[in-house]
Amino acid sequence: MASQILPLELIDRCIGSRIWVIMKSDREFTGTLLGFDDFVNMVLEDVTEYETTPQGRKKTQLSQTLLNGNNICMLIPGSAGPDS
Amino acid sequence: MDPSTTGIQEPFDLIRLSLSERVFVKLRGDRELTGILHAYDGHMNLILSDVEETIMMVDPVDENFEGQGTVKVAKRKMEMLFVRGDGVILVSPPSRT
Amino acid sequence: MDESTPPPPDHNSSPPPPPPVTVSGSPTDFLKGVVGKRVIVRLTSGVDYRGILSCLDGYMNIALEQTEEHVNGFTTNRYGDAFIRGNNVLYISAAEPI
Repeated sequence: MASQILPLELIDRCIGSRIWVIMKSDREFTGTLLGFDDFVNMVLEDVTEYETTPQGRKKTQLSQTLLNGNNICMLIPGSAGPDS
Repeated sequence: MDPSTTGIQEPFDLIRLSLSERVFVKLRGDRELTGILHAYDGHMNLILSDVEETIMMVDPVDENFEGQGTVKVAKRKMEMLFVRGDGVILVSPPSRT
Repeated sequence: MDESTPPPPDHNSSPPPPPPVTVSGSPTDFLKGVVGKRVIVRLTSGVDYRGILSCLDGYMNIALEQTEEHVNGFTTNRYGDAFIRGNNVLYISAAEPI
């Protein structure tokens, strides 16, 4: 067997847990994963957005948010994010 | 159907209802257009007439510490224009109030 | 083939019926919940649009009402209606309880 578990099955197991999302750009999100679809568009709750700019890191708090899967690069399950 | 919407069921309805009207278009590259909307398609390719284009350019030399550099604004007019859809960020129809 | 015959009823040993489908939290469910509500739409450029979500489609093209454009915390424009092309959208966030 080449792979017993598909990548998205792993993400499916993270539903209800905290997840750290790293975008293709200098932008990251943490939040509780409520769901996602085949495009890896993700619904997150209690979200923190981290924006790295030349002026430093900017944090934004968000409630329930649909994140466009188009710009997602990496997902780290169970992580509290860049502050951990 | 949400009562707050005025017969709009999908985003493209907003554009359809703006045909023959003057619309505001925001494009990538700090460009803005106003013009009469004649045609559009699913890519948001647009045909506009009587167009005024506004280009915003930040002068990097004058850029102060707050990052609010002097903005140079250039305007020009075009009679008839095709806009490729992938450059479109936002289209705002005239207010229907 | 005899697909029309229902399985014999067996009330004692049959598993309990599946629980009613709760809110699964999928993107579709989220979107159903936020239509008509105040939202923040952030584009990949960092520009924010705050307004009432009229509707959207599968490309994340969005129609907003009573839209305010925010750039670095400043309100830079207001639109009665606004169509936002989906490829520019970074996220849609609820700005009021769903």
